[in-house]
Parts: sequence; C-alpha cells; structure tokens
Amino acid sequence: MASTSTPKPDEKSSTPADSKPEQSQNTKTAGALEEDDEFEDFPVEDWPAEETEAANQQGNTASGGTAADHLWEESWDDDDTSDDFSAQLREELKKVDAAKRR
Amino acid sequence: MTLTIQFLSEIRKFLKNRNGNDLRAWLLVEPPLPDQYHKLADELKKGYRSSASLTKLVDSCLPEDDNVSDDEGTAWPGFVSFMKDYFEYWRDVDFDDLLGAHQLLTGLTNSCTTALNNPTYGTIMLHTSISLCASLSKLSMTLNKRPDLTRNLQTVDAGEEEQKSIVETTAEIIQKVFTACLTDRSSQRHEQPKGKKTGVYIFANARKTHLAKQLFTNITAKAPPLSFYPAAQRVTFLYYLGRFHFINNHFSRAAQCLQEAYLETAQRFESHRWLVLTYLIPCNLLLGRIPSPQLLQRPEAQSLAPIYMPFAEAMRTGNFLRLQAALDANEKWLFSRGIFLTLLYRLRPLVWRAFTRRTFLLTYIAPTEADSRKAATLELSHLLTTATFVQKRLEGYLPAHPGRKPRQPHINSMFLKAHAGAAARGPKILRPNEGLIWGNMPVTEDHIENIVASLIAQGLLHGFIAHSQGRFAIIGAKQKGAVAAGWPPPAEILATGLKEGEDVPGWVKRV
Repeated sequence: MASTSTPKPDEKSSTPADSKPEQSQNTKTAGALEEDDEFEDFPVEDWPAEETEAANQQGNTASGGTAADHLWEESWDDDDTSDDFSAQLREELKKVDAAKRR
Repeated sequence: MTLTIQFLSEIRKFLKNRNGNDLRAWLLVEPPLPDQYHKLADELKKGYRSSASLTKLVDSCLPEDDNVSDDEGTAWPGFVSFMKDYFEYWRDVDFDDLLGAHQLLTGLTNSCTTALNNPTYGTIMLHTSISLCASLSKLSMTLNKRPDLTRNLQTVDAGEEEQKSIVETTAEIIQKVFTACLTDRSSQRHEQPKGKKTGVYIFANARKTHLAKQLFTNITAKAPPLSFYPAAQRVTFLYYLGRFHFINNHFSRAAQCLQEAYLETAQRFESHRWLVLTYLIPCNLLLGRIPSPQLLQRPEAQSLAPIYMPFAEAMRTGNFLRLQAALDANEKWLFSRGIFLTLLYRLRPLVWRAFTRRTFLLTYIAPTEADSRKAATLELSHLLTTATFVQKRLEGYLPAHPGRKPRQPHINSMFLKAHAGAAARGPKILRPNEGLIWGNMPVTEDHIENIVASLIAQGLLHGFIAHSQGRFAIIGAKQKGAVAAGWPPPAEILATGLKEGEDVPGWVKRV
C-alpha cells in the first residue's frame, strides 16, 4: 500500500545534506532568507542535562578525562613509507643523489 | 467593528495580562502571513491614509489605564507611538520593494526600542524586539548581497554627510536593543536573570564581525554567566561565539566554544550537531586533532567525513597533492561557509611539518655505534629535492616511475594522449595558493630554510638550523628517538589553551 502519511515537521531537518537545495531556492523570497550556516531555532527552549554528553563529563573527570576526549586523536603521525607518495619521493632523492655523484 | 479596532483590542488585552509572547505572535512583520494581515493592510490603505487619523484611532483604543495592579500592565506613550508606526508599516509595505520594506522596518524597530526602554512596562516588548531585530537583520543581509538595489539608496542619501551601509545602520539598532537588555536593573549580575536581562544572549546571533566584537566585549564586561540561561540559548550563543573566534583565527578559543556547544546539544538535534561539527572538525584539525573513528561513526558526521578526512590524510602524510585535491573537491561548499581560505592557508604549516618528517624518514640513516655522538639531522638539500619534486607534480608533471605498480593494461589511450599534450604545453599555470611557495615560483634553498625556521619558531619542529652545514638538527634525539624528538605531536603545542580551559572572551563562565 502506498504511504499517504505526511512527513512530520521535524523530519525535514534530520538530513542536513538533503535540506540544502530546498533552502537555497527559498532565499529569493523575502519570507525565508536563511543562510546555509545559520543556526536554526531549536524546537524547544531547554532540555535536561542528562540528554547531553556534557552530563557525562563530570563522571569521567574522576578518571582523568572529559566527554570530548574520545572524539579526537592527537597522536596520528604516519610512519609508513611504503605508500606511492613516499616511493616517488624516494625515487626522486635517489635520482638527484646519483646526478650529484656523476 | 473593523479589523483594525479588533486587532487593537486584542493588543490591549495582552498589555493588561503582560503577555509578551502572544504580543510578539500578533505583531508579525514578514511573510508567511495569515490572510488577516493582508485584510488589515487593505483596511489601513482604504481608511487610514493620514497619520493623524491613525494616531487618533490608536490613542482611543489604547488608553493609559490608571490604578493598574502590580501583576497587570497598560499602554504607555512609547507603545502607542509604536502601534501607530506598526499600522503605517502594514499600510505602506510592499515586499517586492525590498529597499522600501527595509526603510519601513528600520523605523518600526527603532520605535520598538523606544517602547522597550520604558522602565515600568517595557519588558513586555522583549519578545517583539527580538523578533523584529531578527527580521531586520535577515532583510539587511539580503540587501547587502544586492548592490543593484543599495546603489539606488546611496543616490537617494547622497546629501547626507555621513554615509552608513545598510548593515551598519541595522547593527546600531540591534546594539541599542541589546544594551537595553544588558542594563536592565531588575536583577543583579550574579543572580538568575529577570526582565529584559533574559534576552541578553539571544542577541548573540550577530552576523557581522564589527558588531559582534562590541557585543561580546559588553557581554564579557557586564552579562550574567551563560549557565543561567536555557540550553537552546547557551548552545546557539556558543555556536556564534565559536564562529566569531574561528573567523579571527583563534582556533583554540573557537574549539572550546564549539566543543561545549556540541556536547550540550541533545543527541536528538542531529542537524544542529551537524552544523556545529561543520566548524568544530576544521577547528580541531588546525589544532592538530583528528576526528576519532567513534566520532566519524555518528550519524551527524556521515556527510562531513568525506569532506574533512582527506585534509587529515594530507596532515598525516605531508602530501601536498592530497591537500590540493581536498581543497579542490569541495571548494564551493567550504568557501560558502567561510572555511576554505582558513584551511587553505592555516593547514599548510601542519602539512609542511609532516612533509619534513616524511623526508627525514626517507633520508635519515641512524648512526652506528662508532659515530653515535653525531647529532640527528635533516639535510635541507634533501628537503629541497623532495619539495621541488612536489612542485613539479602540482604543475601537472607525472612521476617518471609512478610507484612500483605496472601500468594497467586497460588504461584509456585517449587519457594518455591528453597527458602527452599537457607535457608539450609546459607546466600547468598555478594560482598563487596552488603552488608550494607562490604559484609556479620554483622552490629555492632560501625558501626551504625559511620554512623550516618558521616551523621551529612555531614549535612544530624541535631543534635548530645549522646554517653553515645546511641542516636541521634535532634536539633531544638521544632520549626520545630522532623522529619523536624532532616532530612532537602538534596538539601538544597548538591545543594547550583548549585543554587547560583558558578564558574565552565573550564567554562568561562565572562572575
């Protein structure tokens, strides 16, 4: 059976990438002049801290971390020199070195 | 009873009950609009052409009541004149004439500010002021992008001594409303805010940097702590404050604001979390922090990973070709969000850092026991060789021996011909920012020494330049190992402020 239900109003904001073309079309009218990077109004004014990650921050601080710690990596240097880019650089270094010795 | 009189009698009830929310809901100024507003406009056009007749009507429908009890309100002269301006606005506004609409809305917002400033009853205008400022600011931003329309304005105003742009005029009006909120005396700074003070952070939605600066300065000096305000206001404020610091290249401050905004946004608001991440990820990249696999798995990060992870790859490997490809792939998207130029210029030192590291890995020969006292060094001539090679690649040359992989037999012959043609035409003409130094400018010894010196000065490389030997010498290689000592993790240097929770101007954490 084909669906006849209308989408809920909050469904349209659930996929930001999809909602973009719709927004840019509207920018021509005086009524809706939103920008891509404009922060939409929240549908509610307040929400309890338990619904957020920040609430877990306190608990984690005891173990020496914060809620954001697992979101980012600070040690990411790449020591692998077997990739194409490194191979090309190595080849070039060899070539220039050989030319110097000649 | 005419629609206009009905309208005024409802407004009078809102004043009596001090119902600022409904007052705002009725005092609409922009589409989309219920049909009644069009009828109201028609009625005003027909019956109230003269200001005098409007004044008379509003005066008679909104009398100033005596003996008002403490929990009730009434009209006051500032409000009466605002209502008269409101009706004039509806009588005269034409949304096809954006410039005219803007002038009318400017007058109306000014009049609203005067009404708001009444010490006894003004607070009821807070919601209306906020919504008028939002409409005015939207309209101003639209006009700002339409020089074809504003040019006319400049001709009209040519007689005035001081020429102000539309955005400047609007900014000044919003500033007035903001000041009215900030200086409300019904509550102290360290108390739960009351009256107009509850509106302080709503005005953070200030898009123009010069206005934002003054606004954030005033907040730092006078506003109650942000934590007193509801979550939606806190998050919105921190988002805009983060954007402000990002524009000003204070990435550590920006990351602190945006991170808090992200963590405080409930998970169900996925599109808001997506927008915060849109800025939080590049901010962290610039501080030497890469999104973790856990972050990248989240629904709000799905569309951002393919945009930002190539930048992270360029930072990890020192591959300038990947940096250029990452910039090219989403130039328009990044540019429209004000991120493109920042990544283009500010990520470069981190890619250079990894590039020098890569060259070191490829050229360094660890000392044998016999000469173990020799310092660990990177020969700058090696760096010149690798950099020159990368510049050639950026100019469109293909490597003589592309990797060790044999050529795929099914490669399209037209593709190969196209490249042969490109080689015959000479190097691709690069824009200044597309070259390693400046467009097609060849890389020289001096450039290399300059870059290494600058990386050392920024703390991204740990060591010194032995100029006469043409080398970068690493300090502390014996204890830590040459690579770890010479190339400390960038976040250790760049993200200290963020990790220590440094003070962020504009963010009142406590008073």
